[in-house]
Amino acid sequence: MQIRPILAALRRHKAGTVLIALQIALTLAIVCNALFIIHERLANMSEASGVDEANVFVIKNQWAGDRSTQQIDAQVRSDVLALRQLPGVRDAAPASGYPLKGGGWDNFVTMTPDQVKPTTDSSVYGSDEHLLDALGLRLIAGRNFRPDEVVVMGTQQVVIPPVVIVSKALADRLFPDGSALGKSFYAMSATPTTIIGIVDELHRPGVNQWNRPYAGQSLIWPLRPDDARGIYYIVRAKPGRLAAAMREAPKALYAQDRMRIIDPKDGLLSFARVRSRVYDRDRGMAILMGIVSMVLLAITAAGIVGLTSFWVGQRRKQIGVRRALGATRGDILNYFLTENLLIGLGGVFVGTVLAIGINLWMVARFEMARLSLAYVVAGVVALLLLGQGAVLAPALRASRVSPVEATRSA
Amino acid sequence: MLKMSHLSKVYRTEVVETYALRDFNIDVKEGEFVAVTGPSGSGKTTFLTIAGLLETFSGGEYHLDGIEVSNLNDNARSRIRNEKIGFIFQAFNLIPDLNVYDNIEVPLRYRGMKAAERKQRIMDALERVGLSSRARHYPAELSGGQQQRVAIARALAGSPRLLLADEPTGNLDTQMARGVLELLEEIHRDGATIVMVTHDPELAARAQRNVHIIDGQVVDLAEEPRFHAHAAAPQSLA
Repeated sequence: MQIRPILAALRRHKAGTVLIALQIALTLAIVCNALFIIHERLANMSEASGVDEANVFVIKNQWAGDRSTQQIDAQVRSDVLALRQLPGVRDAAPASGYPLKGGGWDNFVTMTPDQVKPTTDSSVYGSDEHLLDALGLRLIAGRNFRPDEVVVMGTQQVVIPPVVIVSKALADRLFPDGSALGKSFYAMSATPTTIIGIVDELHRPGVNQWNRPYAGQSLIWPLRPDDARGIYYIVRAKPGRLAAAMREAPKALYAQDRMRIIDPKDGLLSFARVRSRVYDRDRGMAILMGIVSMVLLAITAAGIVGLTSFWVGQRRKQIGVRRALGATRGDILNYFLTENLLIGLGGVFVGTVLAIGINLWMVARFEMARLSLAYVVAGVVALLLLGQGAVLAPALRASRVSPVEATRSA
Repeated sequence: MLKMSHLSKVYRTEVVETYALRDFNIDVKEGEFVAVTGPSGSGKTTFLTIAGLLETFSGGEYHLDGIEVSNLNDNARSRIRNEKIGFIFQAFNLIPDLNVYDNIEVPLRYRGMKAAERKQRIMDALERVGLSSRARHYPAELSGGQQQRVAIARALAGSPRLLLADEPTGNLDTQMARGVLELLEEIHRDGATIVMVTHDPELAARAQRNVHIIDGQVVDLAEEPRFHAHAAAPQSLA
């Protein structure tokens, strides 16, 4: 190998060398972090919700006119009965919210009533004994609510039911030894609530960064949220009958009482749409990062092609001299590939430091996760391969320079 | 050492064929110092590029150190250039980005020689051309004469069987030219075979034998009155 003389020659072309190395470094730093962000966002988007997503849809029902809590409760009971009777519907439940809604209730959780610093946070769903089946949740321990345990919670009321069903993630967080069933905790109240059931998975309504430390930690209380502003109906269609059920459900509700609003735009959402909607920002960010990465890689490749082409043109005579002195075409090709590899190695070295630096800054500034070194390694390999690929065409052109070029005037 | 028989070189375009060499015959024996002369456009440089395997030829035969070179592939030609031929160019053709040491090292690296042997050969060659103290200088820091000496050192370091020189003093003033020529004569006395292309009759006169080319063919000087009129001196020298 002729690394020393190549390095010696590069020292005489500092500007071009440093510029390309810096371009490679910046590209590596940005692309590594961009790919990491893309991966995180894609991982978010594919998180399990615990819901039978293929068959579930959600109705956002807003009440028109003034109603008492008792009137609302009667209407809610009548509505869910009507929904359950639809031929395409397996089950339906009233709810205060639903997984992946984008935001909803949550409570800090403590193990004692006077505990100052909360043990953790849990999202909160209020519903009746039909919610597990309506969402398609899998009960892995304990039991479902009994109808007599379901209480009513009117507008602005705070009700802490004595029993609760929790997600496995919350159960394990509160009782890491696996003994959650039958145990109690406190959720921003002086009265305890006892775990009677554990479901396998139940995603939180929120998907933003704040929710990350509490991923999958949810609880369901047996309370019908008879809020004067409105309520959500969670409906699970029978397999293959989602579209028909979604057509029939609003009609059935309006047949019960027309004094309600189901927004034609977002009042009726399949769960597929719920998922797609809540991850819009993640998807947008992933696409944006993908485009930025592609553009950066293309610019870097173009820079390498441009500089090497320029150097090949500039060194035509020198290449001819090398050929005259015994260099084969392979030697000339190797020369330019090695030269590019050396510049690339310099670039990726600086780029690695930059990539980690940028990530540490983002970790501190935006609560991002720590960049996995696998991304840096993948980025380094990708950049070096990109460099070798980009330099190949001009290097092949250089290798075809005839040795007779040595005898021509410069 | 170098034998061309009925060799031709034709440059073809869509409309015209130009013979740079036609029925070209030359035989240079081992240890000879031959000057190839001729007017501009006579084919001197074409002869040199073919002799140095820098270019292919169109017809005839060329034996270099006993090897028929017409059917050799590009890699084999590169290897022969590297191992058997030393080039000295009019414009020196040193690589400006490399210092003197690295310049001389270029052909040795292509030969795959070990570092210690390369170093020994480079230092020997530099000593021979009187530039041992300039090993770390760059070409731009040397005079024209010194650059040509470095080029000669580069040619000598590989211990070639044949030295091909193309107007080696063409870019030098008289004093520097004299020094370079004396160096070539010294190298020849040590047994090297040298073929030097020049249009300078005085330079040609220092060679052992002159070959004159006109219109791509070697001509007999006795039958070429135009040459006598310009430069009669070379015939008398051996």
